[in-house]
Amino acid sequence: MMKKVFTSIFFSICLYTSFLSYAQTGIVSGKLTFEDGQPVAFATVFITSINKHSLSDELGSYTIEAVPYGKYMAQVSSLEIEKKEFEIESTVASKPITTVLKRSSHTDLDEVSVIGESYKTQVEKSGFAVNIIDTKEASLRNIQTNELLNTTVGVKIRQNGGLGSEVNYSLNGLSGNAVRIFIDGIPISAYGNSFNLNSIPPSMIKEIEVYKGVVPGHLADDALGGAINIVLQNSTQSSFNASVSYGSFNTLQASVNGLYRFKESGFTVKGSLFHNYSDNDYEVSGRSVVVTGIGGVQTPVTARRFNDAYRSSGGMLQIGYTDVKWADQFLVGFTRSSDYKEIQHGAFMTITPYKDRFMESDAMLMNLTYQKNNLFVKGLDVNINGLYGKRNRMVSDTVAWAYSWNGERAIDFKGNEYKYTWGSQQEGGPTLAKINRNVSSIRTGISYTISKNHRFMANHVYSGIDRVDSDELRSVLENTFQGTRDLQKNIISLTYELNAFDEKLKANVFGKYYQQNTVNIDPEINEETNEIVDEVTSANTENEGYGFTLSYAVLPTITLLTSAEKAVRLPNESEVFGNDGDNVVANPSIRPELSNNINLGFRLGTYHLNRHDFTFSSNLFTRNIKDRIGLPIETSSNVNDETILYENQGNGTSKGFDAQLDYTYNNNFGFNFNVSRFDLKIVNRGVEIDVPNTPFFTMNGSLRYSFKDLIQKDSRLNLFYTMYFTDEFSYLVPQGSNTVGDEFFKVPQQLAQDLGLSYVFPSNKLVMSFDVKNIFDQAVYDNLSVQKPGRAFYLKLNYRINNY
Amino acid sequence: MKHTFKNLPKLTAMIIAGGLMVACTDDPTPNPNPNPDPDAEGRWITVAAARMGDNPGDGNGGTLIYSINSEEAKDPTVSIAPFDNGFIVPSNRTARLQSSEDGNTMFNISYAGDTGGNYTKYTVGGGQTFTQSGTAVSIAPYVGSAPRWVKLFDGDNTGAAVYVSTEDIFDDNGTPSDATDDTYVRTESTMGVVTLDLVNSTINEFQESIVSLTEEEEANGYYISRIDMPTLNAAGDKLYIGARVSKVDPATGESDNSGEILNSKTIVLDYPSLVNPTVISSAVGQGDTNGYRSINSFEYNGSVYQANQGDPEGSHILKIDANNQYDDSYVFNLDAALGVEDAYILAWRPAANGKAVVAYRDASSEEGVAGAQGFFALVDLNTKTGQRIDDIPYEADFYLFQYQGFVVEGTEIYLTQAPVGKNGNIYVVETETGEVTKGAQLENVAGSHYIGLF
Repeated sequence: MMKKVFTSIFFSICLYTSFLSYAQTGIVSGKLTFEDGQPVAFATVFITSINKHSLSDELGSYTIEAVPYGKYMAQVSSLEIEKKEFEIESTVASKPITTVLKRSSHTDLDEVSVIGESYKTQVEKSGFAVNIIDTKEASLRNIQTNELLNTTVGVKIRQNGGLGSEVNYSLNGLSGNAVRIFIDGIPISAYGNSFNLNSIPPSMIKEIEVYKGVVPGHLADDALGGAINIVLQNSTQSSFNASVSYGSFNTLQASVNGLYRFKESGFTVKGSLFHNYSDNDYEVSGRSVVVTGIGGVQTPVTARRFNDAYRSSGGMLQIGYTDVKWADQFLVGFTRSSDYKEIQHGAFMTITPYKDRFMESDAMLMNLTYQKNNLFVKGLDVNINGLYGKRNRMVSDTVAWAYSWNGERAIDFKGNEYKYTWGSQQEGGPTLAKINRNVSSIRTGISYTISKNHRFMANHVYSGIDRVDSDELRSVLENTFQGTRDLQKNIISLTYELNAFDEKLKANVFGKYYQQNTVNIDPEINEETNEIVDEVTSANTENEGYGFTLSYAVLPTITLLTSAEKAVRLPNESEVFGNDGDNVVANPSIRPELSNNINLGFRLGTYHLNRHDFTFSSNLFTRNIKDRIGLPIETSSNVNDETILYENQGNGTSKGFDAQLDYTYNNNFGFNFNVSRFDLKIVNRGVEIDVPNTPFFTMNGSLRYSFKDLIQKDSRLNLFYTMYFTDEFSYLVPQGSNTVGDEFFKVPQQLAQDLGLSYVFPSNKLVMSFDVKNIFDQAVYDNLSVQKPGRAFYLKLNYRINNY
Repeated sequence: MKHTFKNLPKLTAMIIAGGLMVACTDDPTPNPNPNPDPDAEGRWITVAAARMGDNPGDGNGGTLIYSINSEEAKDPTVSIAPFDNGFIVPSNRTARLQSSEDGNTMFNISYAGDTGGNYTKYTVGGGQTFTQSGTAVSIAPYVGSAPRWVKLFDGDNTGAAVYVSTEDIFDDNGTPSDATDDTYVRTESTMGVVTLDLVNSTINEFQESIVSLTEEEEANGYYISRIDMPTLNAAGDKLYIGARVSKVDPATGESDNSGEILNSKTIVLDYPSLVNPTVISSAVGQGDTNGYRSINSFEYNGSVYQANQGDPEGSHILKIDANNQYDDSYVFNLDAALGVEDAYILAWRPAANGKAVVAYRDASSEEGVAGAQGFFALVDLNTKTGQRIDDIPYEADFYLFQYQGFVVEGTEIYLTQAPVGKNGNIYVVETETGEVTKGAQLENVAGSHYIGLF
């Protein structure tokens, strides 16, 4: 990230346009050095005639792909060098060339002219309320992907404990089912728990796109409140990196990623492995962390969590061809992952902590990627991404003995160890519940660029889940009569993109069609034949949504952005068919939740004043939700019914703003600050109330300072500071003006601060980082009583080779 | 926008200030405790109000209590606003409150959430003043974090809470892997009962036992699925526990709603040992005896009178005699007594004279914002007669499902009346004469309601 921030000259990637591109293309590559042999990093290499660019990396290497065969003049520029033109040639097997450049005699920033923007800047100016999170820096530090998301403006993570514990994502106040998460555009429901933001290391991720309220057509799912898309590494350059991190709570995280491409044939092998482990045995205290003695007398204690360990491991292997005539990328692969998570308590920390309750999940998935720009004709880009496989999940809770917060067997009021009446740790009885799912998902995107100004895109996502539930602790007979659920979703979107007035005006209009088929197979006994027959019921839901984005650059540094979408969330399988375990029955006539989402924002910058660079952006948003799905209240008419059903209840609104400031000085000091605030209300039967248990005001800030050559020549030392602020909130609805007893329900104001440093050794291959999280050991909560880790230390070593 | 940008520090300050301002409350009421000295003659009347969570009438937004003396309670010129000035009972969901007979102490066991199962008691100090006393104790290890509990009428010494868990039992015919020859045997209900010393905040006793129905009932898939409302008999040697019976289909092991409703049942346990459970069955009433949130059975004149719910003939008040068996010669059907259909007792309370106020709904109830409209009736346990109390105003949104508390003072019974989201009043029913006095006004807020007095 830091490279980009102070690169003297920005470069532009005309991402969606491609000129003079013919079927026969090749790759040109080379190296830029100073006269003394030092690499020239972050210089732009620009082939004017075909409008293709590349940026040299830290080793001075650059690659320009899809260059039609022929000779070209390339221009190289950077603040550090004097501008130079040189000739390059694209042939079947272009050889890398080394270009020697003269150091520039002046480095005055005032004379820099901005000629383009990074991909991140370009997307953030496209009209969507979007943040692009670059994982490059985080991947070298002891930072979890979720922590990175949590510092993003408008995003709030609610995590039920330490590493690996359940996470809920909130985007501008909308959370749960309203936020959809994707991996390379595939809904994460296909991957399950073992391959998610808890387990995937940041080094496997290229970037994370967070779309708030308005979701582009290529992320096709019923995302009511927004989408988070994890873009995995997709570079086709040979590279290798490995890292290992160890720290507090016996936390070990290791990952290896590598890609090797045979330059002649384009044959590519790509693999990654990860392993995460933590005991999560951090200290907790509070009103429910007590040890109970004779007569039920409670003694408050500070306890270490003792049933909270987490392990996840997995990997991905892909082979195929990249940058060949018939494909930019064609890869088939296999993903395997598994995780194990002990569960210390339910939604709240209570006086009865769990022992030996755990969840296991695994996934085995085949995947296929095909991507080709300019297929058959110029401007026609095709992108296919599919996977098929199985994923399984099991919850085990079979210990009836009661445990205490000291990790020992608890005693009852007489002083004897005892078992719970319900025979398990969580009330509800022993379970070995298994859910086996067959999953498949395929995403197809076609885009056609007519000219620089017009582009059409069509996207389709199919996802299917067949689900079978069983529980070893239930009889075979009961398991026989347990229903199975299938869910199939087709989502089609059409998008038109306009780029007018010299790229000042960008517009995007899209329509989405949602179709979902849910099938419920419930075995029953046929009264006449006395045989088991399957009763099959199905429900089909269809819906349409649409939206637009518009951005206008009043000046190159002032962009106005607006976007709106009529978003849809289809009822999920439980909402349609209920859930046997919870006595919820089918309501096939339930309607989808709808929301009108509007964003209105602006972006100012990047301003360059002497050595100061800054960008400021802000977004105002409203979300108007209709037909919220929920369970009805208990009344005298239904309290004795064995069953209830989900219903469409009322409306809701979320209104607020996000604001973000980025500032850098002279390539070695950086400051980021963001603030997010909203009001979330729901209306049921004409009565409006504020939604409780919502952190409605958050701020994040970070500082970075870099030293060059401090310890060794050509080394770099970076210092980091991050702060996270969450204002007080209550998990009870707002009360009257003069009530007492409110504090029982309040989650106090929280301020956590982290410090970190990373040291880049002179070879640039080895990076060591050390992080201290929550330096002042503050009590941090997501829900009241569910405490998160206190002060913690982590050390990480990274080794990387960017180019063979 | 440009202006805002230029004044970024100012904007940030404004944002922070905005946040702080929201965190502060405005419009303070000058005197939350209008009369801190209880009237020497009367007793404290604690009003309980349930704020709306996310649906009108759900009562999930906090339970607020506020005390006035009985003289004020009877005074229609007094107006109280517990939603603005009350004490929020620490309970994640609607608290199930109990009070001492003299009204000076409130007992609460927190329902769900991190402190679910915690017992706390408060000395009533008038207005919003409730002073916590005693040590912390939790019954969650025995009966879970959402306990169903009531106090026993033994001089405010004991509370009792119950829990039931069920397991379907199958016979695999010696072939565990072959499902085709498996047969359903019965559903076993395991009951846990805990008694709590309300005075010293300690656990008295806990026992677990299996409760069975008759062999025939069990073979047909019937089992006790929910229990509640423990009541001590007059001799103080047996505990009666109300029960709800559910059914599975023996062919599939899945729940079955189509079965016939069995006669009303009660579990009888030895007290204080909490052992030797037996199940007694009424020949008069059908349906459940576990009530909902307010005490469902009371000792009067040596017998225990118990309301039932979900009775196809309309709710009955059943009688359990000193011999710990249902008195099937005692037939008190609310439909017959009131001349209504489908009467359903939601809450009730007798005075020492055998006359009782009953909160109920019936076939004539309109469907209000939170469910069926409720009514109050004055009934006589001795004559088995009753009539609706028409001096209390009723409307569609007047709903009594979550109603919990009545205060009995001599022959007078105090109750609250307030439709969901609308102001109401305390009413005092003189049970001897049927005379109704309109008392203090209860100020309401949107979607919320009052759940009684203690």
